[in-house]
Amino acid sequence: MVVREQETGVDRVVELCGLRLRTPLIPASGTLSREALGEVGGVYGAMLPKTTTPSARAGNPPPRVAETPAGMVNSIGLQNPGVESFLQDLDAFDLGIPIFVSVAGDTVSEFALLCETLAGEDRVSAVELNLSCPNVECGGLAFCAGPASVEEVVAACRAAVPGKPIAAKLTNEGVVENARAAESAGADGLTVINTLPALTIDARARNVLVRGGLSGPAIKPVALRAVYDVSGVVNIPVIGSGGVVSGTDVAEFMLAGATAVQVGTASFVRDPRKILDEFTDYLKENSLSAAELTGALRGVRPVLTGGGDI
Amino acid sequence: MKVYSVKVEEREELGSYTLLKYRWTDGSLEPGQFVMARAADYPATLDPFLARPFSFYDYDGHMASLLFEVRGRGTALLDLASTIEVTAPLGKGFRIDPSLGRAVLLGGGIGVAPLKILSRRLNAVGIPHDVFLGFADAGPAAVAREFPGARVATIDGSAGTHGTVLDAADSLEGYAAIYACGPNPMLAAVKLAAGQNSLCQLSVEERMGCGNGSCNGCVVPVRGGGYIRSCIDGPVFPAEVLAW
Repeated sequence: MVVREQETGVDRVVELCGLRLRTPLIPASGTLSREALGEVGGVYGAMLPKTTTPSARAGNPPPRVAETPAGMVNSIGLQNPGVESFLQDLDAFDLGIPIFVSVAGDTVSEFALLCETLAGEDRVSAVELNLSCPNVECGGLAFCAGPASVEEVVAACRAAVPGKPIAAKLTNEGVVENARAAESAGADGLTVINTLPALTIDARARNVLVRGGLSGPAIKPVALRAVYDVSGVVNIPVIGSGGVVSGTDVAEFMLAGATAVQVGTASFVRDPRKILDEFTDYLKENSLSAAELTGALRGVRPVLTGGGDI
Repeated sequence: MKVYSVKVEEREELGSYTLLKYRWTDGSLEPGQFVMARAADYPATLDPFLARPFSFYDYDGHMASLLFEVRGRGTALLDLASTIEVTAPLGKGFRIDPSLGRAVLLGGGIGVAPLKILSRRLNAVGIPHDVFLGFADAGPAAVAREFPGARVATIDGSAGTHGTVLDAADSLEGYAAIYACGPNPMLAAVKLAAGQNSLCQLSVEERMGCGNGSCNGCVVPVRGGGYIRSCIDGPVFPAEVLAW
């Protein structure tokens, strides 16, 4: 892929928590399976498999997904084979780029135990703490209830995996306060944001279709604001996530303050390589490197441009 | 996910269903496999966003066809599209064992789709088979003319036997292989009627997010507990695997 970088003549490398990523793109957790890896070589700067938990989880009963305007609501419920099996199969995710592992526990001690397990794993470059899954009964989103619970779980994980960077994945609600708490508890980075709590109803059948998390382009402006606001108040890198579909979207998140950007739902309908190609074209057309984008809007006041009669 | 932009070469109405044909020469495809498809022209179509899964209706080595029913905005746009986006063929299709005897094909509603290509393949390997198709009413039932010799049932009695596809079929005894595709309650009924003595394969209908195993959205419950993904492990399953 070095060849590819030379070919493009564009510097897409970013540094995230001391790791060199050859592109700023990272798959959002739970959106890229082992079976789909064959198509993504060279696209991502880091790999990030689906969230792993202490033991196997069957997940939620179907229906688990529903289409909504410019997005989807999912309620998967962290279906996964558990951390032991996850680590046995981890080599499949080795594409020669850093591997980030997303973890979730029902309790602080489960989070810490997962981090301890990963601490001795050379294959794992960084850990993402999923503090914001909206689809599980215990833990999940509840960890983002306030700064105190964020601080407690991040501090416990920080102590459990001293040798690796940890990033806290936060929900939108209360994100600035929670980001500050995560930083002060020792997080090396923040993933902003997870899906938004959402509901779909089948009016014809008169029942709830899916109660879960909203993703896709519908949430992009919400995610952009969260990234913008959070990156203005913390001194650790922010990984932007939420509704990225195009190369321009990637640029927008980085301009808002993100150091790297996650691609999730969009990879279900677009080849992520196209997103990278579009981002590369953007850099080329504007004579910029990827790293130069991060936070380039900091200090630039919002400008109201034409057509804004509301 | 790798996505191919392909021109709609032919469009035909089969009863209340739509048949789209596009050129596919990028590798073989098997009866029971499916594609994720949506109207093309990103980024104009961010809404609706997701592609929809469709089993292959037919394939002659050059032209692949999809049969679908307009149910919502995604399929409405697909119905009008001159260019569509499709993935490569996905999933595990029907297992065909030429050493077995007579087979029966059971379709419910738009679940008739994969039975056309399956019937073509069974004919090619010399497996005799009967086809029974069930529909809500006479509108979609018109597609049955594409299945010579098929017996039809409709829930409202407006065409063929009054009742379900299983009412049209009388009995499933004596068939060495049973192939079925349709709504899940129909498949559960087929499984029950099939008993233990035949190879019974069911192609499930599930809502899908990605189609490539990534999102875990399209799972079905399996015997012994838990769920498996219909896009990667199916959409065709041996009946005994499912927990219905």
